[in-house]
Amino acid sequence: MTIRRALACGLGRGRLEITHLLRTPREVISQLSTPIAFVVLAMVNDDAIPGSALPMANVFIAGGVAAVVVQTCLIALPQVLATEREEGTLLRQRTAPEGMTAYLIGKTCLLLTQVLIGIALVLAGGAVFAGSGLPAGLGDWLTLLWVLPLGLLAMAPIGAALGAVLPNAREALAWSMMPVLGVMAISGIFFSITSLPEAVQTISQLFPPKWIAQGVRSALLPDSALAAETGHSWQHLQALGVTAAWAVAGFTLAPRVLRRMARRESGSRLAERRTAAPA
Amino acid sequence: MLPTPTKAAEDSATAVAVSDLRMRYGDRDVLCGVDLTVRRGEVFALLGPNGAGKSTTIEILEGFRRRSGGEVSVLGADPDTAGPAWRGELGIILQSWRDHPRWRVRELLEHFATYYEHPRDVDELLERLGLQEQAAQECQKLSGGQRRRVDVALGIVGNPRLLFLDEPTTGFDPVARREFHELVEQLRDEGMTMVLTTHDLHEAERLADRIAVLIAGRVAACGTAAELAVSARAQAEVVWTDDGQTRRQITPDPSQLVWELQQRLGGPIPGLEVHRPTLEDIYIRMIREGETQ
Ligand SMILES: Nc1ncnc2c1ncn2[C@@H]1O[C@H](COP(=O)(O)OP(=O)(O)O)[C@@H](O)[C@H]1O
Ligand SMILES: [Mg+2]
Repeated sequence: MTIRRALACGLGRGRLEITHLLRTPREVISQLSTPIAFVVLAMVNDDAIPGSALPMANVFIAGGVAAVVVQTCLIALPQVLATEREEGTLLRQRTAPEGMTAYLIGKTCLLLTQVLIGIALVLAGGAVFAGSGLPAGLGDWLTLLWVLPLGLLAMAPIGAALGAVLPNAREALAWSMMPVLGVMAISGIFFSITSLPEAVQTISQLFPPKWIAQGVRSALLPDSALAAETGHSWQHLQALGVTAAWAVAGFTLAPRVLRRMARRESGSRLAERRTAAPA
Repeated sequence: MLPTPTKAAEDSATAVAVSDLRMRYGDRDVLCGVDLTVRRGEVFALLGPNGAGKSTTIEILEGFRRRSGGEVSVLGADPDTAGPAWRGELGIILQSWRDHPRWRVRELLEHFATYYEHPRDVDELLERLGLQEQAAQECQKLSGGQRRRVDVALGIVGNPRLLFLDEPTTGFDPVARREFHELVEQLRDEGMTMVLTTHDLHEAERLADRIAVLIAGRVAACGTAAELAVSARAQAEVVWTDDGQTRRQITPDPSQLVWELQQRLGGPIPGLEVHRPTLEDIYIRMIREGETQ
């Protein structure tokens, strides 16, 4: 009974948070900026993928899809969590029965919406304006259908844990931005990484973004593009392994960190921060 | 989930029972054996200066902090282990916060009403708190007083049996304070049990059926305002002049002391004054004694 109520409250929360996102121009703009940037990048680049006649646009569009996932999970999510912790939104949730469960369900709804909108914009924008491909058949769509959810499951818990441990929203941004951009840079999101040193390519294989981008490329491109891939194959098995490992690690770690965060929040901590931080 | 009864739980007439409550931060004892009983239907004030441990106590009762020791029962359950059904019976108003800044007042209240079994009607709540005009405004655009009324509305939207208020009127102007006091009185008349903290004696006297004075983590006195006043008046201060020096003595029986002085001096007592201290005098004295410990 309470489970059903928590679900209903969480879904209601998700719906309202999505409404708030859509009615705040600043949020809409930042929501659109990543997809637009990657579509433009794909439009202005007329090269072909090395070793094939296929347009580079596909690489940027696949990179854009991965970037949407990474940015939403590792930059936007920690920031929103840290902000809502600071302003007392989380504490308010704690005062209500099943409030934390509802909060997490609501955030999941919001995150899924943000990611889905972003991915749809990148794929459609690329296909319409930059000549990139869309998945050619059922098999390619199915590839997207496991790569993207798994990528999300790998990244979202890490982002949530980050938001829970970092002291405030400004530091959440400072701490997440550089490493995240660094990993994205070596993951073949902004350019093809076959030209990078071997060691850097190896490092990038430890993190999900490379596998998300490569998985998306495998769904957009025919096998004739494989010459430009690190393993000269789509390496689905490795993609599955690395993202699943991150997902397992994230889902082991995040609930503990979140529980600890929820337990530690109290009215006096809130008041303390209020007096410590200039209003 | 059934509430788990604890040893401190007395009977159905008791809303909160606390015995030997202890709280330690690091190596510092902030609560050193607090005993309290709050009866159903009463307004109970925890009165004390800043740093006395009021927030710590009330947050332990709310289930927001784990105590270091002692027995606590709130509505028949231990706050450390009680479940969501128990939480649904509580209302909580903390010191000012700025949560949900982008939510509109009505949607916030309507959303929080969905968490509870028997919520209050949101329209009625808006009207009662004078928030109809702000119903469609975002919380971040409200004035301080309006924001506070939203906090109160959120605290009672679930129709709680027990409402906790931590320094509810800090930062209020006199009009807002008066309105808030009237609201508390209305809620009491509806049968809601309330536990509030304040550092303002007059507020405690005005609102509370019973007051516990918390000084440096100990209950220094507990009772109705009248009882506290009587015990305050029980200690009189006698002042007189002897050899050109002002003497003072605290005594429960000033008449006896005056009689003895007259005997000793063999006549009228120069500069004689007998003071019956007010509750405020006693409260200030307790705070001073707490500070010098
Ligand atoms: N989380 C905490 N860690 C360490 N000390 C704390 C913490 N919370 C409160 N204190 C200390 O405990 C004492 C009592 O605090 P508090 O309960 O907030 O008092 P009050 O609400 O009566 O002003 C204060 O000296 C405060 O500094
Ligand atoms: Mg306090």
